[in-house]
Amino acid sequence: MDYIIQGFFQALGFLFEGNEELWSAVGTTLKVSSLSILASLLLGVPLGFLLGYADFPGRKICRTLVDTLLALPTVVVGLLVYAFISRRGPLGELGLLFTLPGIALGQTLLALPIVIALTASAVEALDQRLSMTLLTLGAKKGQLARASLVESRYAVLMAGITAYGRIISEVGISMMIGGNIKWHTRTITTAIALETGKGQFAEGIALGLVLLAIAFFVNGSLSLLRRRVQV
Amino acid sequence: MSTPLYELRQVERFYGSRKALGLEHLKIKSHKVLGLVGPNGSGKSTLLRILAFLEIPDGGSVLYRGKSALSREEEFRKEVTLLLQEPYLLKRTVRENVAYGLRLRGETPQLNERVREALLTVGLEPSDFLRRQWYQLSGGEAQRVALASRLVLRPRVLLLDEPTASVDVGSAAKIKAALGEARKNWGTTLVVVSHDFQWLYEVADEVVSLFNGRIASFGPENLFAGSWKASSAGGAEYLLEDGQRIKASDFSGEENVASLSPDNILLSEKEPSGLSVRNSLKGYVSQMLYENGSGRVLVRVVVGGHALTARLTAEAVQELALHPGKNVWALFKASALRWLA
Repeated sequence: MDYIIQGFFQALGFLFEGNEELWSAVGTTLKVSSLSILASLLLGVPLGFLLGYADFPGRKICRTLVDTLLALPTVVVGLLVYAFISRRGPLGELGLLFTLPGIALGQTLLALPIVIALTASAVEALDQRLSMTLLTLGAKKGQLARASLVESRYAVLMAGITAYGRIISEVGISMMIGGNIKWHTRTITTAIALETGKGQFAEGIALGLVLLAIAFFVNGSLSLLRRRVQV
Repeated sequence: MSTPLYELRQVERFYGSRKALGLEHLKIKSHKVLGLVGPNGSGKSTLLRILAFLEIPDGGSVLYRGKSALSREEEFRKEVTLLLQEPYLLKRTVRENVAYGLRLRGETPQLNERVREALLTVGLEPSDFLRRQWYQLSGGEAQRVALASRLVLRPRVLLLDEPTASVDVGSAAKIKAALGEARKNWGTTLVVVSHDFQWLYEVADEVVSLFNGRIASFGPENLFAGSWKASSAGGAEYLLEDGQRIKASDFSGEENVASLSPDNILLSEKEPSGLSVRNSLKGYVSQMLYENGSGRVLVRVVVGGHALTARLTAEAVQELALHPGKNVWALFKASALRWLA
């Protein structure tokens, strides 16, 4: 038990002293996760809106597929992306393996079903009186769609935050695609895995604390938004 | 003769296999107030949605200012707006809610002045309310903001579904006053569904009673639904709570809804005798309203738990010295009842 308590205090020391290796992993995590969430929002919000708003043949099948992909294991995504971007793979020429864009590609695939499914649910859950109200105020079809997306903005943001939570806490993709290269592709989660393996609990705990702080911030924003959505 | 604002012919609307509306003919004139009354499920809200061009009827024709509404819904919706019974406010400030329709129309010059003016019309002080968020409003305030967001458009037609049903007395009074302003200032035609009969009959030029999706009458019709039984003496009887019976003729055994025009009811201070009418029911006056369209007085008489409405002249009311609480006898012929279903 003592080594855990000792590790905790050592961890605080690392954080406040500004251990470069440790903060490099934090910086890498923030960089790659920002890239991933941006890409998954840019792709996921329009697709999710389409899935929740439009009526097209095969919509139900698409919905089931997206819902199934919510439970996608990170190692499976890692495996698939690895197969595609490794030298022998169809995207091998892009040289994405062991790079941050490579990790971001995998994380985007992981977050995309979450953004799509939650955006679709948000749009589907819009009050039926909304479209009637917009029409009676003179909205045309395009204006109706745009206003519906604006009305579901808090719920869509919630989708983004939920997806971000999944991205920063995943380890499988970062490890398999990034390779856990020091100063380069080492993220908080891969660093924790490494340090724990080496028995360096203090570094692991320090990184864990940063991850928890980010998770706390993300969940705090989520509960604030949830309150706003429910009003 | 001028073209009516609306003309509906043989309009039908089905939800699944249920016929929600089946109107033979309805005309609505410009600059008038039309009241719609009827029990729940009588088709009032469906009719409002059709008049608002939000729903397309399954059969029949809807003419608006003499033109068929078919595939012109978007164009006509610029002139016609509907206030829902439970208002929906956009997740924005009061200012943005009221300004939304104007922005859609590109009517942004003098936007601020018009928004302020609309808020004042519904009795909301702009300096207090403009910046408020949608969730910082009470039910009555939200309804008034929703009304302001319609009034700001200066609509040719304003359709209202129970505008005062879920608000407090103060808000209801301000809503009524705002509707009066809209009529006066822009000649807005109002079509109002309301259970606030006193107000409705005071302001409406005409009141249409709907029942089972059909027009039961133009005016406040008395309806007797269910529990009609064949009488041994012929015809049918409707048992009231206090044991009194309403008698109707021409009963085939299948009908269960009868209507009675308020014009066919006579009132007497004393128990009548030696009359040929088969219905002579004891009750008391519960309410008296002035009917705008006819200039007469509608007297509501509670008979065995059932409210009957009789239409009387002001002189008759004076002669009988009618007042709420006074005991009276309501008289009408068995043949005056019409079978609706």
